Amino acid sequence: MAENLAKESWEPKIVAIVCNWCTYAGADLAGISRIQYPPNVRIIRVPCTGRINPFYIVKALQGGADGVLVSGCHPGECHYITGNLVARRKFATLKRFLNYIGLEGDRTMFTWVSASEGDRFAQVIRGVTAKVKALGPAKKMLKKIG
Amino acid sequence: MENIDTKLREVAKRLLLEKKVDVIIGYEKGTLPMTATPCFVSTEAEADKLVFNDLCTQNLAKFVHDLITNHKNSQKRVKPEDRKKKIIGVVARGCTTRSLIIHLQERQYGRDEVYIIGVPCEGYVDRKNLAKSLQQAEILDGTIEGGQLKIKTAAGDKTVAFKDVIAPNCVVCRFNNPIISDIMIGSPAPAMNPDNEYSKINEFEKKSIEERWAYFTKEMEKCIRCNACRQACPSCYCPTCFVEQSQPQWVGIGEDKTDTQVFQCMRLYHMVGRCVDCGSCISVCPMGVDLRNYLKKIDKDCVELFGSRAGSSMEDMPPLGKYSEQDKEDFIFNP
Repeated sequence: MAENLAKESWEPKIVAIVCNWCTYAGADLAGISRIQYPPNVRIIRVPCTGRINPFYIVKALQGGADGVLVSGCHPGECHYITGNLVARRKFATLKRFLNYIGLEGDRTMFTWVSASEGDRFAQVIRGVTAKVKALGPAKKMLKKIG
Repeated sequence: MENIDTKLREVAKRLLLEKKVDVIIGYEKGTLPMTATPCFVSTEAEADKLVFNDLCTQNLAKFVHDLITNHKNSQKRVKPEDRKKKIIGVVARGCTTRSLIIHLQERQYGRDEVYIIGVPCEGYVDRKNLAKSLQQAEILDGTIEGGQLKIKTAAGDKTVAFKDVIAPNCVVCRFNNPIISDIMIGSPAPAMNPDNEYSKINEFEKKSIEERWAYFTKEMEKCIRCNACRQACPSCYCPTCFVEQSQPQWVGIGEDKTDTQVFQCMRLYHMVGRCVDCGSCISVCPMGVDLRNYLKKIDKDCVELFGSRAGSSMEDMPPLGKYSEQDKEDFIFNP
């Protein structure tokens, strides 16, 4: 009974690591435009997706995140010209590698949202939350504290 | 494999005599029977202990990097005009030259600081394989002749074929002859058979996600985090490894198994476009963790996604250090 209750009331925790210049502004626009999206996402702002160390993603998964979303400018629109193009290579290999060791691919998501795409940001968050909800709580590589 | 020891010693002596190199890193006979161990040769008299055979396992590029870094650090206290340059000679087979290329591409030292003595390689004996085929009997003495290992063990004499105990990474080696060298000793070795190098990976990829996770956790439970793999790896040369960083602390120091998983996961991921499949980490692992399954996967991804093989040429820069506008985007999430 208690288990069922816990299951029903379980809401995924999603870490969104977003770039300052596009997705963060996109999230801002979604807020200003009063677009509704699930409150499961915790946003971390970084200067550029190229600044994201792959450790952040693995560490977030270990620290209890059910899903990690990384979002930056569309390719070719990076504030630092090529930051997201370099990041794209890192994420392509990281996603494949995490899937290979046995972590579900849907827990690590990568996407591009530009500053004018408030609508798309809300859609992405809805999509990611639905996918992570379908997977259920993270159990692998999860550090138990205490 | 032809015996190139005499020629190697001659070359080493000449290089030391002509002061072309200050020290030569090579292999000598190990203290245990049927082993070879890395050694440093800085005088002509010492050059007589150099050997190169099928028992030489470790990738010597690691020592090149260590020596040059230590020397450069020691020179920091010297006035700029009095600074001395040291030239390191290294006995290098295919995988060692690949590691040296990675160092050079990552601007760890200049090409003129290292003198590469290229040697052909036909693969080396995997100690764990050998121990298995001898039923863990203690090796007392042995010789290698014509593809046969004649071994005297505590449980009697045995003959083992070299091709049965060759390391798995050597069987599928693509670059068994030096890619770059200043001097080449011996004639080039015949090519190995790299056609099926990813067959095991393809098989593993077909397994279900739960099976893959079960295998990963099973392998990582063996790991005692002795960091031997990191110490032996020529691509692991950070002055402070993420394992030892405390601000932020990436990896907890307790015995929590997720910390071990995170450590291995991140160390393996650091090898994207940098692992040359030399097998050093596997040969030094005291617990026999199957690291190669994961390293080879990373190698496969690099070939598939970026068409790059680690250290295969001086021009082909590391894949994560560059980009292409045509990179695949199939992993991007679109709601």
